[in-house]
Amino acid sequence: MAIIEGEPLALPSGTPDDRPNPLGVFARPHNATGFKDWLTTVDHKKIGIMYGAAAMFFLILGGVSALLIRIQLATPNNTFLSADAYNQVFTMHGTIMVFLVVMPIGAAFANFLMPLQVGARDVAFPRINAFSFWVFLFGGLMLNTSWFLGGGADGGWFNYAPNNGIAYSPSSGIDFWNIGLLIAGIGSLTGAINLITTVLNMRAPGMSFMKMPVFVWMTLVTQFLLLFAIPVLTVAQVLLMLDRQFDSNFFNVEQGADPLLWQHLFWIFGHPEVYLMILPAFGIVSEIIPTFSRKPIFGYPFMVFSGVAIGFMGWGVWAHHMFVSGLGPLSVSAFSVATMFIAVPTGVKILNWLATMWGGKLTLNTAMLFSIGLVTQFTIGGLSGVSHAIAPSDTQQTDTYYIVAHFHYVLFGGALFGFVAGMYFWWPKAFGYKLGEKLGKWNFWGMVIGFNLTFGPMHILGLQGMPRRMQTYDDAMGLNLWNFVASVGSFILGVATLLVLVNAYLSSRKWKAAGRPDVGPDPWDGRTIEWSIQSPAPNHNFDVDPVVTSLDDFWHRKYAEDESGKIRRVATGAQLAQPGNGEGVHLPASSYWPIVLAASFPIIGYGIMFTLWLTIPGGLLLVLGLYGWSLEPADDLDLPHDHDDHADLAGVGASHD
Amino acid sequence: MTDVTVDQVVDHHDDHGGGHASSLGLSNMKLAFWLFLGSECLLFGALISSYLLSKTRFITEIIAGNPNVVSTMPAELIQEFQEKGSVEPMFDIPFTSLSSFVLLMSSLSMVLAHSAIVKGDQRNTRLWLGTTAMLGSIFIGGQIYEFTAFYREGLTFTNNLFGSAFFTLTGFHGIHVTGGIIMLLSLLFLSFQGKLNSSRAETVELVGLYWHFVDVVWVLIFTIVYLIP
Amino acid sequence: MTKFARPTVWRRRRGPATLVQDMNASLTAARGRRGVPSAAFALVALLTLSACAEDKPLNTFEPRGPQAQMIDNLMTRIWVIMAIVFVLVVGGGIALAIKGRVKAEDFDYEDLPYQRHGNDKLEIGWTIAPAVLLAIICIPTVATIWKLEERNEPQELDVMVIGRQWWWEYRYDVDGDGFFQDANGDGVVDDKDIEWPLELALDNDDLSIANELVIPTGEQIDLVITSGDVIHSFWIPRLNGKRDAVPGRIHTWSLEADEPGKYNGWCTEYCGLSHARMRMSTIALSPADFETWYANQMLQAELPEAPAEGEVASPEWAGRQTFEQVCASCHVVDTPGFEYAENFVAPLTAKAAPNLTHFATRSVMAGAIFSQYSEDPTGRLIDADDDSFDVSNYLGLADEGRFNDAQLRRWISDAPSQKAMAAEDQRGMPAFPQLTDEDLTNLVAYLATLD
Repeated sequence: MAIIEGEPLALPSGTPDDRPNPLGVFARPHNATGFKDWLTTVDHKKIGIMYGAAAMFFLILGGVSALLIRIQLATPNNTFLSADAYNQVFTMHGTIMVFLVVMPIGAAFANFLMPLQVGARDVAFPRINAFSFWVFLFGGLMLNTSWFLGGGADGGWFNYAPNNGIAYSPSSGIDFWNIGLLIAGIGSLTGAINLITTVLNMRAPGMSFMKMPVFVWMTLVTQFLLLFAIPVLTVAQVLLMLDRQFDSNFFNVEQGADPLLWQHLFWIFGHPEVYLMILPAFGIVSEIIPTFSRKPIFGYPFMVFSGVAIGFMGWGVWAHHMFVSGLGPLSVSAFSVATMFIAVPTGVKILNWLATMWGGKLTLNTAMLFSIGLVTQFTIGGLSGVSHAIAPSDTQQTDTYYIVAHFHYVLFGGALFGFVAGMYFWWPKAFGYKLGEKLGKWNFWGMVIGFNLTFGPMHILGLQGMPRRMQTYDDAMGLNLWNFVASVGSFILGVATLLVLVNAYLSSRKWKAAGRPDVGPDPWDGRTIEWSIQSPAPNHNFDVDPVVTSLDDFWHRKYAEDESGKIRRVATGAQLAQPGNGEGVHLPASSYWPIVLAASFPIIGYGIMFTLWLTIPGGLLLVLGLYGWSLEPADDLDLPHDHDDHADLAGVGASHD
Repeated sequence: MTDVTVDQVVDHHDDHGGGHASSLGLSNMKLAFWLFLGSECLLFGALISSYLLSKTRFITEIIAGNPNVVSTMPAELIQEFQEKGSVEPMFDIPFTSLSSFVLLMSSLSMVLAHSAIVKGDQRNTRLWLGTTAMLGSIFIGGQIYEFTAFYREGLTFTNNLFGSAFFTLTGFHGIHVTGGIIMLLSLLFLSFQGKLNSSRAETVELVGLYWHFVDVVWVLIFTIVYLIP
Repeated sequence: MTKFARPTVWRRRRGPATLVQDMNASLTAARGRRGVPSAAFALVALLTLSACAEDKPLNTFEPRGPQAQMIDNLMTRIWVIMAIVFVLVVGGGIALAIKGRVKAEDFDYEDLPYQRHGNDKLEIGWTIAPAVLLAIICIPTVATIWKLEERNEPQELDVMVIGRQWWWEYRYDVDGDGFFQDANGDGVVDDKDIEWPLELALDNDDLSIANELVIPTGEQIDLVITSGDVIHSFWIPRLNGKRDAVPGRIHTWSLEADEPGKYNGWCTEYCGLSHARMRMSTIALSPADFETWYANQMLQAELPEAPAEGEVASPEWAGRQTFEQVCASCHVVDTPGFEYAENFVAPLTAKAAPNLTHFATRSVMAGAIFSQYSEDPTGRLIDADDDSFDVSNYLGLADEGRFNDAQLRRWISDAPSQKAMAAEDQRGMPAFPQLTDEDLTNLVAYLATLD
């Protein structure tokens, strides 16, 4: 049910008199501007942008560490990085890229876009949304303070026991890894609950499940994967923390522990993790390819169900990461077969994208090029994935550069290409101007060439026997040529990736110099309802609740069949768009509590690592944060009565009908 | 077009999100809570699996007589473990059954508290909330007693795999129960301040949901840890 | 141990495998060229071919034993299927993009392409077709998984492979006293048959060597793999895939070499600081040579002659004294009167060090990163060229003239500067600044006698 008509709403019997007084220090900031606004905002669009900005910051860190790796490996027996430094650099590279870049960019799109696509004013729990972001950011920053506090983690991104134990890694690097990610995981979990609730419960009237945009579907599947995967990682990390900080024995082989416990827990989390990194990008290109092919997505139900199938099957294949761990032939056979069949739904998606392009009139702009880049490069990653699913073949290839090539084709050539496509596509909706097409083409071709030059040769290196995580190799191994080519490629790739940010800066400058021309609500002839509002999206998103009648609802409002059955444009996007008048719409007010509450976690984390005394102020801040949070009124009492927080229920529907 | 329900008002009071009311006819808060509990299932699933694996490995080493493991506990206890082939001699089943029964009864009183607040019966709401918190506290007391008894008998958190796994699993559950007690006491406090009227019935219902979940998890842990040898 | 007349069918199959390898490598390289002039492609193709002509001692496409051959045969067909799918999908995607391209300014909003929403038959088709294809691939896959798990029955020669930070130890069950026996009688040696922790399984009379696993050709050698500290992975690419060495667990695996030669490998599970310098090789000797090697390895090392009253001690004898004072706290040289089991304690993290009884019959040292016979800065010690394989090194015929004593001295005096170590945590070899030049000379002289 939803409030779409102007009928008067009966106020509930429970009058709001019982609301507690706000805590004086932290009255909700109203009309905050600048820095303070960003710190206290609960607006899903701003939070989405902050997720993106944080991910870009971490992308630079992860990218620099990648280049350090490639410098070290450019020539045999290189001494640019010591073994110890190299181990830290590749561990932090993997950890940063997975947990602090790809996952948060996915979260950025989910936060910014999903509420717009379902026609909501915000997510279900705006303050929790802000909290999720801050706790992710603090966890990520805490992880990176390890560089200055005794060195980064050196156990590899999956950090196998018992090498992650205090006996084998006595520095505190792994503690930062463990506790930093544990904290960031809290953010993922609350974020997942929040976003699932939003998709399930806050869709625009008329938007049934089979009328949801594919991106919303993929967000839903992704967040469900997070919801169930994060607690398993949490358990693994808590056990590791207990082992390292409190002398328990979960991974103590001398006491008979089985090191494979860590591997099982990690990969039960880790495999769904792989899918939750790629599915948002799948969702993004499923929006972009139809838009620029001027055709609907081919086989929408198959796209949706294959995504859901990937979500389900992703839980049954974790042990394919452990084919050489000694599970025994029965388990290996079972997981080998299961893994092969997960290629089926993925293949369906690729073929459906190609079928969408088939017969279309393609606009090959930067967003579309990056999407096609995803489709083709992900195919390569998918094919090398099949050769891993074949367990005997995997015994030759796992833990070599072949697998490094595989997962970069999936996560960089796949996920990151999709995210860049999404940035080019939705940038006008977020900031009010398009990113430059000319630089965009440079960006795309530079990335394609650099990417394939870097990771293509790694297939060969792996098959020629180069294991991963090698600080150096010998001249006589015959690995020199392709390592050098990969290193050259990595610099092309690094520069080309930076062009995204350069483009953002230059385009913004150009736009401002031209007097901020209006890009219009619908610059791409878009299909979904986020294009029916002004660009950049106004604070309140929708002036009136959109009523959805079909899939690709906005497109169907622009085009209709004439008498002869020919499809004609009946209106332009600009004609149909909402004017962006938010008068009378009440939005949730900003709050200090999310950032305060989130700040308590790293303090407790440092306390667990260095001195338990520090957990006391951290714990007190946590309790204070929780109480402040729960006692904070929905809005300040001294506001005029028409800003009463219950009025927004009425205001939504009533003000603009 | 229906009226705004109490659920949505509570929901909006707590989180005051965007414009829509529920697409599923369930309040956001309640939906979110169910999702949270789904996530908790995986948390306890992983903990229970870790416990089972660790205990099995412990018993295998004990039976094989691995000196590193055997030397961690008093010899007579080890001997009993070896004879039975399980860690069962460690447990005082009647005592734990009793405290489990107490915890189960608290679920009943939680149900009564919820039905009281739906009826607007403040007195009984307080009575049953208090009872639930008290029964939960008795359970926690029993757990503390059991832990100290184990420590005296020679099973500690750090001495071997079984100790680490046992204290972690039951400790995690104990923390959850403690969190529930704090929530119950907060509700009781609100009630005495007169701020817990029937419009807050959903809050009580959600706390109840959590409490029942924690109970069900205990039934599982009790069966797996204590009853199945 | 003499059934080495393995038929040579394996050899014949190498032709197509190499072809496919080249094809695949070119395909991989071709991915880099989209949007690059075709001259660049030609260059890349040329580089690919020239790279393939080089020696690749770890190449997974050059099987030299039945297990690796089995994997290669399975994959030969699958590489082809993958190549076809690759060309169709990637080529198709690019072709569609070029064919359907319309300039943004030329696009007519009144003239949309046909709005097809899907085609159920087509979609069901391309759901089922790959599923059927994969189901077909599953059959040989599962068959190969089980074939790779086939072990000798009864056990003939078992070797226990123990990964250590950062070198490999190999133990041969010589006296047949049961540690590698099939205690359950179920025909399979598994973890029920072998005791953990490793100290319990250590045996006075067994043979312990380091870095190079020596096996006879033409015979399947079963390995039991475990680890003394963290997880490692044992991988000789030209003989078989890899298997993890997990502490607290025993895994079985098999190797077989068709021809005598040196087959290199690399630890493939990240194992901490010096993971990159944990290499190994398998030396396959003809059965007759293997018997000679084996007989020699079973001898105890002779003690150098003590100097007579008033005489100057020989360097070997002086070296032995230094060895006993310094090195013997970790290293064992099995000499008469030496109590092996009592002295050799290998706790999980500490002091596990190679047995040096027949040090001079090995061709590599320090985790197979230095040649024992030649000081070659390019590290040519893992030469893949089968012709250069010199069997005399392993048969106790060490040529002292070729002994790499400069490197050996550097290693003994300051190992951590040669290979990253965590000696302060008792992982790896510490530096010995207290050893004088003379001490080092004596030690090297003593070690050279250990053949």
